[in-house]
Amino acid sequence: MSVTDALGIDASWLRESTDDLGQGLAVIAGVAFWGWLLTRWLYDWTLGRWGIGPGAGENFLSSAPFERIADALEGSVAALGPIRIPVGWLGSLADGAALAIDIAPALATGAWYTIVLTAVSIAIGFCIAVPVAVLRVYGGPFRWLALSYTELIRGTPLLAQLFVLYYGLPLAVWLNDVDVVGRGFVPEYAFWIAIIGFTINGSAYQAEYIRGALESVDEGQLTAARAVGLSKIEGIRHVVLPQTLRYAIPAWTNELVYLIKYSSLAGFITVPELYYRASRIASSTFEYTPIFTLLALVYLGLVLSATNLMTHVERRVAVPGIGQVEGRQQGTGD
Amino acid sequence: MSDNRTETTERTDRERSADSSASATETDPLLRIEDVWKSYGDEEVLRGIDLEVDRGDVEVLVGPSGSGKSTMLRCINRLTEVDSGHIYLDDLDVTAADTNPDAVRQQIGMVFQDINLFAHLTARKNVTLGLRKVRGFSKEQARQRADSELERVGLADQADSYPAQLSGGQKQRVGIARALAMDPEVMLFDEPTSALDPELSNEVLEVMQGLVAEGMTMVVVTHEMRFARGGASRITFLAEGEIVERGPPEQLFENPTHERTAQFFESIRHD
Amino acid sequence: MDSVVPVTELLTAILAEQLLFVGEETVGHYFGEDWEFVYRNREYLLWGTVITIVLTLTSILVGFLAGFPAGAIEAYGSGYSQAFVRKFGVLLRGTPILVIMIFTYFVLPIEIVLGAAEFALRSIEFLLGPTPFTVPTDVPEAFLAATIALGLRSAAYQSQIFRGALGSIDEGQMEAARSIGMSRLETIRHVMVPQALRRSVPGFQNEFTIVLKDTSIAFAIGLGELLKRSHDLFTQQTTAVLEVILFISLLYFVLTFGTNRTLDYVSNRFAIPGESS
Repeated sequence: MSVTDALGIDASWLRESTDDLGQGLAVIAGVAFWGWLLTRWLYDWTLGRWGIGPGAGENFLSSAPFERIADALEGSVAALGPIRIPVGWLGSLADGAALAIDIAPALATGAWYTIVLTAVSIAIGFCIAVPVAVLRVYGGPFRWLALSYTELIRGTPLLAQLFVLYYGLPLAVWLNDVDVVGRGFVPEYAFWIAIIGFTINGSAYQAEYIRGALESVDEGQLTAARAVGLSKIEGIRHVVLPQTLRYAIPAWTNELVYLIKYSSLAGFITVPELYYRASRIASSTFEYTPIFTLLALVYLGLVLSATNLMTHVERRVAVPGIGQVEGRQQGTGD
Repeated sequence: MSDNRTETTERTDRERSADSSASATETDPLLRIEDVWKSYGDEEVLRGIDLEVDRGDVEVLVGPSGSGKSTMLRCINRLTEVDSGHIYLDDLDVTAADTNPDAVRQQIGMVFQDINLFAHLTARKNVTLGLRKVRGFSKEQARQRADSELERVGLADQADSYPAQLSGGQKQRVGIARALAMDPEVMLFDEPTSALDPELSNEVLEVMQGLVAEGMTMVVVTHEMRFARGGASRITFLAEGEIVERGPPEQLFENPTHERTAQFFESIRHD
Repeated sequence: MDSVVPVTELLTAILAEQLLFVGEETVGHYFGEDWEFVYRNREYLLWGTVITIVLTLTSILVGFLAGFPAGAIEAYGSGYSQAFVRKFGVLLRGTPILVIMIFTYFVLPIEIVLGAAEFALRSIEFLLGPTPFTVPTDVPEAFLAATIALGLRSAAYQSQIFRGALGSIDEGQMEAARSIGMSRLETIRHVMVPQALRRSVPGFQNEFTIVLKDTSIAFAIGLGELLKRSHDLFTQQTTAVLEVILFISLLYFVLTFGTNRTLDYVSNRFAIPGESS
């Protein structure tokens, strides 16, 4: 008792300082992560294309020294006796570092695809979701249209939806007829199909919680808007929606996180995003563990960045005392 | 060991109610609070409280909000731990490190301002839960005991209702029955009526008056001056974590010796 | 698992015999060749559906067994246990299920998994007495990997649901229970948990359908669930792509819809009288 009492203050101080330390490390990790991505992208688009430096998609650093360290460490393991295990770990760490340098350019390019897929889909999806949600709540006899759209999309797996679009519909043929697709900066048709799929899927989920938020805005608000002479549409547009969208931000954050993670499914229809590139490399080198660990770290970096960004946005636009709606609970909860 | 204690106190309960008026003049302290200090961070909530409550007495604690009344109550059954000082229930040092708080709490009933009924259980089950899990009663024993406690607070007909189906006053009476069922030696009331509408307070106050008549030892934090005047053996006025004045109700109401006490009762009267 | 297989086999047989008595030619005549193809392979797809359902149930179960204690630790735990659960949760929630599944399939050694399952079962038996279950050793590796991936990921989300539900229950009830002498553990067990479980139904509903839909991602590790089987079929007869996928989408829809209605019923059945649920 007295011991814990005596230590009580020290322990709490310790915890605080480790929290600070953790926060500091997180910031450093974040800066390193985005620094790496931005440098890579900028280089690949500009200097790399112009033939300056190692070239687009090539390593900045050589992985050879790490490989040599790894070889040296692993070679000496047998002779070391008691310190064999930590040295063995160091060896695999060096191995991992060498591999990370090797596949970093591929991951950075993949991350670019992942981010674009997510950002474009969620933005267009949002534009579809708002009218769908409004139709669902205020649509009168046309409510069932919005209802069946959201329920059908939400009731079937995203991967099945991607398959319908990719294999089932002649979208590929149409898209291939469009001249610009697949030329220069414009990606292949599979990418566009993925955008369509994620947009549709995301719009249904977004519509659902915008609906939830719409319904949670007091009905009297619309009545009051009508009372000052606004039309129903104007009332919805200027009074109800602005409140609604604030309510919906936490759910929207979850949707963003969801799309970042599920954009990995685009790999199944050959979109060269993060997962696709990593799994290609893995199946040719059989280094599953380090490659998928690195892949998971990149996703984690993207997801945590998105959550932090959205928390920031939420604080900026918050109206004091206004609550929130639950999304499809795919946030990280942190 | 704790079972033994409760058995004996049950007997003394009966004896006591027979001649409580006779023994009231002698001192028979059941609850002794000695130099209790408590602070939250830099804020000192209790600053050296000394108080003795005799068996069968009703001690009413009054004072402005933030004076430490509720904290004092919560220290008695160790929902809040004291920083220093001692609290004794009979010979048991409640505040000692090796005293099991669960055993103490069985002997000290508590009624809360926000009632805190178990929302998923009927009135009867709210009462039986402690009997079954803590006292080890059989299902049938517990049921009988619960029904008689509900009868005691006038709610025999609501035994199967869920908290959400009861009025505030009824809920608080279930809360009292729940505490009484554990055969406590002392009952603590933490503003039992302040969350209730005035017309619902009366039924709760009546139940409390009934307990006073039965000779239950009680420590009551309340703003209900009618109860304080009619039911209290003594009133203790606290301010800023210290006891300012203590005495029988007539003294504090009519002839307070401290200016602060006079001001406080003046302000209450205007409410 | 051993007993599930013959029962489901029997069910499929009965369904195929009794309900689907229409001849293949009739279907072909009215709906065209591609629907006839779907119809001809109904049993194959029905088996995929069974695997999808079983995978959903095992994953939800694993998720519950791991997620419920994790949620309680997040709500009531302290220090390192809480920090560990939180960090692990963020890791699982921040990584795509596809990546988690690839991990459990290619990286996680099967012996460790079976060992852990054995250990978990033994501890349950230690707590609750002998159980009739043994650790299945003949389950396909892909199924096991998918269960672990979906189960762990689901545990990370279920823990959030339970944590939220536990947190939403007024602390006063904890104090009230402590004030009549119940221990903290007893209080959590008899007062907080029963209420929290009721309040988690809506979140659980959401989670259940997410797991159900995400079983389709086991396609990536070649598990023969519904989507994988449909893929097998439409690569066989490429003209029937749309028909096959629409058909399985309908099956998924019926499953999610049915799940939601069932859990609605459960929610109403166990609602606390007088409280709006």
